[in-house]
Amino acid sequence: MIRPLIFFFSFLLLLVSNSAEQGHEDRSGLAIMLHCVFILSDTGEIMLEKHWMGHQVDRSICAWFWKQAHPSERQETIQVPTVVAAPTYYVLHIVREGITFLACAKTEMPPLLGIEFLGRVADVLTEYLGGLNEDLVKDNFVIIYQLLDEMMDHGFPLTTEPSILKEMILPANLVSRVISVVTGTSTTLSSTLPSTTSSSVPWRASGIKHAKNEVYFDLVEEMDATVNKDGFLARCEVYGEVLGSSRLSGMPDVSLTFTNPSILNDVSFHPCVRIQAWESNQKLSFVPPDGSFKLMSYRIKNLKNTPIYVRPQFSSGGGVVTVTVMVGIRANVGKPVDNITLQLVLPPSVASSDLTANHGSVLPNHTTKVTTWTIGRIPKDKAPCLSGKLQLEAGLERLREYPTFLVGFKIMGVALSGLRSDRVDINRVDYSAYRGFRAVTRAGNYEIRS
Amino acid sequence: MEKVWRGRWRGGRSERVKAFALIAKVSKSLRARSRAPSLCRHGLLKLTSPPRTCPLPAAALTAFVSSLNIYRFRSCFPAPFNSSSLRTPPALTMNADNRKGELVDLKSQLRQLAGSRQPGVEDIKRELYKKVISYMTIGIDVSSLFSEMVMCSATSDLVLKKMCYLYVGNYARGHPELALLTINFLQKDCHDDDPMIRGLALRSLCSLRVKNLVEYLVGPLRSGLKDGNGYVRTVAAMGVLKLYHIAPSQCTDNEFPAMLRALLLNDPDAQVVANCLCALQEIYAAEVNISPETALRDREHLLSKPVIYSLLNRIKDFTEWAQCLVLDMVSKYIPSDSDESFDMMNILEDRLQHTNSAVVLATIKVFLHLTISMADVHQQVYERIKAPLLTLVNSGSAEQTYAVLSHLHLLVLRAPALFSNDYKHFYCRYSDPTYVKKLKLEMLTAVANESNTYEIVTELSEYAANVDVAIARESIRAVGKIALQQYDVNAIVDRLLQFLEMEKDYVTAETLVLVKDLLRKYPQWSHDCIAVVGSVSSKAVTEPKAKAALIWMLGEYAYDMPDAPYILEGFVQNWTEENSAEVRLELLTAITKIFFKRPPESIKMLGAALSAGLADAHQDVHDRALLYYRLLQQGVEVAERVVNPAKQAVSVFADTQSSEIKDRIFDEFNSLSVVYQQPSYMFLDKEVRGPIELVEDTGLLPMGPTTTDDVLPSQLVDANDNDLLLGPSDKEDSIVAASNGSHAYNGPDLSGFDSLSAPQRSQSAAFPTPTPQVATTPAATSTSLLDFDDLLGLNTYDVSTPAPSSLKLKAKPSLDPQAFQRKWGQLAVASTVDHTLANVAALSTPQPLIRHMQANLVEVMASGGKAPTFKFFFYAQAADSPPTSGFFLVELIVNTSTASSQVKIKADDASLAPHFQELFLATLGSFGF
Repeated sequence: MIRPLIFFFSFLLLLVSNSAEQGHEDRSGLAIMLHCVFILSDTGEIMLEKHWMGHQVDRSICAWFWKQAHPSERQETIQVPTVVAAPTYYVLHIVREGITFLACAKTEMPPLLGIEFLGRVADVLTEYLGGLNEDLVKDNFVIIYQLLDEMMDHGFPLTTEPSILKEMILPANLVSRVISVVTGTSTTLSSTLPSTTSSSVPWRASGIKHAKNEVYFDLVEEMDATVNKDGFLARCEVYGEVLGSSRLSGMPDVSLTFTNPSILNDVSFHPCVRIQAWESNQKLSFVPPDGSFKLMSYRIKNLKNTPIYVRPQFSSGGGVVTVTVMVGIRANVGKPVDNITLQLVLPPSVASSDLTANHGSVLPNHTTKVTTWTIGRIPKDKAPCLSGKLQLEAGLERLREYPTFLVGFKIMGVALSGLRSDRVDINRVDYSAYRGFRAVTRAGNYEIRS
Repeated sequence: MEKVWRGRWRGGRSERVKAFALIAKVSKSLRARSRAPSLCRHGLLKLTSPPRTCPLPAAALTAFVSSLNIYRFRSCFPAPFNSSSLRTPPALTMNADNRKGELVDLKSQLRQLAGSRQPGVEDIKRELYKKVISYMTIGIDVSSLFSEMVMCSATSDLVLKKMCYLYVGNYARGHPELALLTINFLQKDCHDDDPMIRGLALRSLCSLRVKNLVEYLVGPLRSGLKDGNGYVRTVAAMGVLKLYHIAPSQCTDNEFPAMLRALLLNDPDAQVVANCLCALQEIYAAEVNISPETALRDREHLLSKPVIYSLLNRIKDFTEWAQCLVLDMVSKYIPSDSDESFDMMNILEDRLQHTNSAVVLATIKVFLHLTISMADVHQQVYERIKAPLLTLVNSGSAEQTYAVLSHLHLLVLRAPALFSNDYKHFYCRYSDPTYVKKLKLEMLTAVANESNTYEIVTELSEYAANVDVAIARESIRAVGKIALQQYDVNAIVDRLLQFLEMEKDYVTAETLVLVKDLLRKYPQWSHDCIAVVGSVSSKAVTEPKAKAALIWMLGEYAYDMPDAPYILEGFVQNWTEENSAEVRLELLTAITKIFFKRPPESIKMLGAALSAGLADAHQDVHDRALLYYRLLQQGVEVAERVVNPAKQAVSVFADTQSSEIKDRIFDEFNSLSVVYQQPSYMFLDKEVRGPIELVEDTGLLPMGPTTTDDVLPSQLVDANDNDLLLGPSDKEDSIVAASNGSHAYNGPDLSGFDSLSAPQRSQSAAFPTPTPQVATTPAATSTSLLDFDDLLGLNTYDVSTPAPSSLKLKAKPSLDPQAFQRKWGQLAVASTVDHTLANVAALSTPQPLIRHMQANLVEVMASGGKAPTFKFFFYAQAADSPPTSGFFLVELIVNTSTASSQVKIKADDASLAPHFQELFLATLGSFGF
């Protein structure tokens, strides 16, 4: 009895929703995605808006979003997830350097498509403007407007490759800015049209010419690790990227091999990489985009060791906490560990701190309660040690929330995971090009709990 | 329309002028000498840079930027600018004159150049165009140059053309009459030798979006689709969609969709194919409303084997975004057999290694759909997609992490064992935003099993000391949830008890609530727990929930805690200071339970508590005190059987989301609803998509003022104990509620308890002599209660709102579903009202509203949805109308989160519809909307 009824009502509602749709002005299908993008400053002011669908999305949605994202005045960071449902639209947002990129969609769509696109917008703007902040956005909104126009047509992403965009719209470099100030005009239109639109390789224009042919690869690894209260390495992983920078004429075919590709756990590639070649003989073979690009990224899980150790000790009593933090080299990776920094976020219950180090400089910030200890390179003759006392707020005997240490370091010339490049070949061209390859390891999210 | 636009245009312009004035003033005060004219001439760069430091800038900038936007984006929003507070400074007039002069100058220069064929003329034109465009982009109205610009556009210079297109695109929509001027040269350019010019001209032509120029569009579009150059066809394919948006019938009449379909299969250029696909999908989606049958057939054709295969075979040619589009469509395709599925998966396998997370997710969706009926392969798919998903979670931005985690959460609910070895990926990072941390905690809870519980709980315990209080609380709850999943409980109980020793208010509070839940499931741990709980100072507990939990434990384990009665006594003494009704309710129950166990120590306290309860202003507290009082009057044993029956340990706690909803979300993998964690129909039900599920029909609803007279309280208690999903306080509440429903309230006879009253215990004499207040209150109220009964909100259904109009409704209209469906299909919508609801918190399930409407002679046909969106179908019949006519059909959509509702009324007799609408809205209003 109940089932047939449910079916009937389902049908009924389908009918009804169809008829409701009739005569509705906005006929949105599934393919169409983002109606608009707003770029907001860190105070929620709309700096720029771009609509693709021929009609305007009311700006009030930004005010609505801002209110949702900051339920109370003092919360500075956005408190809502990436996708929220406003009364009339889905609102997607990302935050980069304090700038909020907000997009509205009326219909269901793949969420990561929107997020990726917004991320790409932020990346392209950063590259064009040489950074990302409120002043840069406001100074250059003519160019941003043009970029957004090219990046999306009728709500669907079009050209997002920076190298191709640069052929259509000249970046606002110093020269053009000087010219615009002197002449009173500010045009950023390129005098030629992109030739890539007719190229068979979507990420590379045909007929590229460089006086000096060179290609560089940077292997950048970031180590993410968490050391828990008991001093155990709770997790340790490496996220690596191979960044390419290509200035090669014509249509070169580049191949890159590693000596030990088997250590890679999960890899993903730029669209230019031929995945079959990778799968059959672990070789990266591709026609590179011109300019800089991310060739591949990978993950290596379960590393056993971190290059440096940090040993914090706390003992508290009578409202005073005695702190000692030792830092040292744990495992020799073959190259010196540089730029070691230690960030200590003190819990709110700490009223004041007095910390000194036997090496490097200690910089406390009393408003944010972040103390930064810059060590640099670890000296040969002594072990760096941070020590001192924390004064707790009145009424507290012992420390109950223990601070977390964020560690930074940099190792030039070596990839922590041990990944090494074997050789770089350039084929299908009649010139010889300079090839470069270097590696660097950085601390990513390396935190030590105490 | 044109006039409206012009009006807005002008308005925008004047705002802008004022903004300029303000900026000029600011700059002046800043730089101490008037450079305003040159500032404005040089544009935005300089104008925006100075503020920040000066006293006026924020408002000025906002006004300035928004006025520019008004101009540039043809927006009609008023600028947040208070014009009355400022006078026009002299600088402005000068500036405006200057600019006017410059425009006139430009105009005459362009005019001179228009017919000129001198050798270097192109360069001069270029400079002039640049100037015009730069004026335009900083928000100066240069539309007066329109005709000159168009005249000069007869050139072969590509750069000039491009600038001209930009200019035309910006002004055409606001100046349709001027747009007509451009048609000629755009059409001519559409036949240019250079494919770039053809393409750009066509795009500009399609982007004019002026309705009465559509006829000029058809020809160029047709030839554009047949163009030899891929770029032109790409533009043309999108152009078809743009045309469709302006004039759907023109588009379909000219067979454009069919042409797109041909291109889709045969075009050598991948971008053309992608654009065709994009346009077709949208056209068909919209077309469904106009001619459903053909559109559905066309859509099916789009999903046919040849189309899907032709797309799949060239998937690598597409851009990453187009790949997403294709993959999304492929996920809707149902392969004929498993071989086909495997072929498709082989083709798509390497897409999982794409850097674009959107492509990866879209591929995963295809894989899951292809294998959904092949259990073992499905499992393999899970294994295959694990690595890329885990990489995405940890390597990208916080936003990406969140979106991917949402999907992982969905997967782990389907395949819990999937990530049990990868739990470390869900450890919170210090820098994660709170919303990501919360989701990670949920993941850790979901992946916990025998093998990893210890590590996970160790990790979670570290968060309990987190600086972020919200996360600390969540992590304690997570520990509790894991404990309730029965893994390694011993260690967990130790952890929880350690939390209590941390002596932090919120940690203690959360832990107490959890210990209470744990004890209900694992009574065997009571000994360890109670020892620690007993040492918790009741003064340190301030949160109502924690207090209630503590009181519950004191009442439940009175035997094990020697000083339980004395702690409770302290609470009773502070009765008036206790703000939370929840705590007071719990206190009544606990004291009554203690009385059964340790009567000599608690008898005084019980009297005090009951009298305080009866005098309580809170209805529930009062009711519960009254109930206990009367139960005790019936005999202590009776009361004990009701208040403190033997408890079974809770075996399963309810999940918050039903499995049905989880399945539905699973169907919507890689959609916003996963991230939003709600099936999309709850939010966007206007969309054309699958039917909305209905949860009930009239047959299942309690109709009108029927009550549960015949349900014995003992059964209710049993039922509640079997219904293990309720918390202890909920359980007691439901007893009270049930008793209310069963008219136990009506008088001292307590008919519902008859069956229990036989074995009176002699101790009942030990029941304290009630204080005079206690003795009189029930007696005094019991008679009047009979009268007030219905007014107390228990059975108010037959209190109908006086009809505000002459329309009277029939008492029992009858309309069967088929007839409803028929009528709904036949009748036109008589009226549609959008209604703002004053009080929407009232609605968490559809039933209350349904009952309310039924009491007001509006019957329900169907209802569905889940908070915050409900959908109802009501019907009613006018009084004194024949049985088959005079019906009113209503569709009501209520959104409690946005406090809005939409009412759609259809009527047999349309003339009565306004009356009915009035009546209906009044009835809605009386519900508290």
